[in-house]
Amino acid sequence: MMLWYKAWLETRWRFAFLVGSILLVWIAPLWLPSTGVTPGMIASRMWVALQLESVLLSILAAIYLAGAGINTQTMYSATSGFHGSMLFTLSLPVSRARLLVARAGLGALETCGLVVLMAGYMLFLKPGAVSALQAFDYMVRAVVCAMAVYALSVLLACVLDEMWQFTGACILWVGFFLLQSKVNMVSQISPLRGMSLNCYPLTAPMPWAPVVASAVLAGVLLYASVLVLQRKEY
Amino acid sequence: MNEIIATNGLSKSYDGKPALIGLDLAVPRGSICGFLGRNGAGKTTTLKLLLGMLRRDAGTIRLFGEPVDSEASSIAVRQRTAFVSEDKELYPFMTVNQTIRFTRPFFPAWRRDLEEKYLDLFQLPKKKLVPQLSKGMRTQLMLLLAMARGAELLMMDEPTSGLDPSLTEEVLQALADLAASDGTTIFFSSHQLAEVEQLCDRVCLIDRGQAVIAGVLDDLKAEYRRILLVFDAEPPRELAGLPGVDHLRRRGRTASLLAHVDVDAVVERAREFGPCSVEVRPVTLKELFLDHVRGE
Repeated sequence: MMLWYKAWLETRWRFAFLVGSILLVWIAPLWLPSTGVTPGMIASRMWVALQLESVLLSILAAIYLAGAGINTQTMYSATSGFHGSMLFTLSLPVSRARLLVARAGLGALETCGLVVLMAGYMLFLKPGAVSALQAFDYMVRAVVCAMAVYALSVLLACVLDEMWQFTGACILWVGFFLLQSKVNMVSQISPLRGMSLNCYPLTAPMPWAPVVASAVLAGVLLYASVLVLQRKEY
Repeated sequence: MNEIIATNGLSKSYDGKPALIGLDLAVPRGSICGFLGRNGAGKTTTLKLLLGMLRRDAGTIRLFGEPVDSEASSIAVRQRTAFVSEDKELYPFMTVNQTIRFTRPFFPAWRRDLEEKYLDLFQLPKKKLVPQLSKGMRTQLMLLLAMARGAELLMMDEPTSGLDPSLTEEVLQALADLAASDGTTIFFSSHQLAEVEQLCDRVCLIDRGQAVIAGVLDDLKAEYRRILLVFDAEPPRELAGLPGVDHLRRRGRTASLLAHVDVDAVVERAREFGPCSVEVRPVTLKELFLDHVRGE
């Protein structure tokens, strides 16, 4: 339990920052020139903003929340290298798998929370057009697909320091985005497409291929992370 | 099993460069053992191997009489062991109080009385974040976390590095009290020979990844003798080959021998080289250390 408490203390400001960022993106359209703008138009603008930004925000949240605490434990002291307080953590009578489960688990919960927050907002914006079931379907696929992005970030956090983990994850997903636009098979199972409202509108049936592929990918990557962390030397 | 730490042929290399070469180590239960050596001699590597932070290339480790050869056995060992790392890094996002509250549940034998005692003794500000503490306070907090665990074995890597003399004395006293009152075994690496002499009843000196001296400190001091020889000319190199001579240092017309086996016989044989004067005197820990890491 205390490991989850530590993970929360470690990530709470990141989580708060991401919640703030998402709220900012949503309310930004309200600040646009408002002459002649009706409430309906505002809602419409926010809907567009949500569709455009939700995938990007989900990816950034998944990458950012997987950072500190897995391998690097915050670069508080430059003189002691990137491991920081890792030696203190490793002196506790806890397996490395448990350390990873607590840290990655809390980050995954936070990522899910953010994705659900974004998906749930649709009900507020389009109460008539979207049924609760459709919104739930979208939440499920967005969460599962975001977990694939998150799991890759966790794996990178096990081998790289925080700066390179963030940069590396961004580069990999940009590369993946370009790949999916060229290769149809990749596109069919891409987590990025799976969570997009442009590719699969709310009224479309659940896109099982990217959802299943994302779940498998997340599982494999998290298992690989445990193996990497267990073999790592400090 | 009387030995709380026992290693046999422990070896570790980094990228092909050996850090430990067949280290044999034995630390009896209830002792305070100083682990000495130059920078890069392999002290930190040994401590990390004992705690499972590194994987050994060869050799065996037994702690509390049990082999440490899996993660499960390492976890069992860490339940009974406290560790203070050299860098004294704790979580920068926690206060002193949060750090203590975080650590406490991992150790069923946690000593609330010691927690209170050292909080009071070190006057640590409970509500301050770790980065707001001075290095001395961070060290004290780490020591509090280590000592209150109720651990049977306390391993420390340079516990007093960066502390002023008054804080150092406070820390040494706290460690001595803990060993005396609870029978805790203390195994710590240090460069401060004076504090090792003050606190330890045993020492182990390693150099280039191998143990060169190990034993009870008083026995070692009684066993070793410094033999100073003054010659008319440059002292002969052959002195180093005399039976019982551990190390020879030559400076000008003076030769300094460190001997520990049948010192009288060594003196007699040394006289055969025709020195002008011969003097035999006891050695300090510092001399033992310097001779073994710098001797010819």
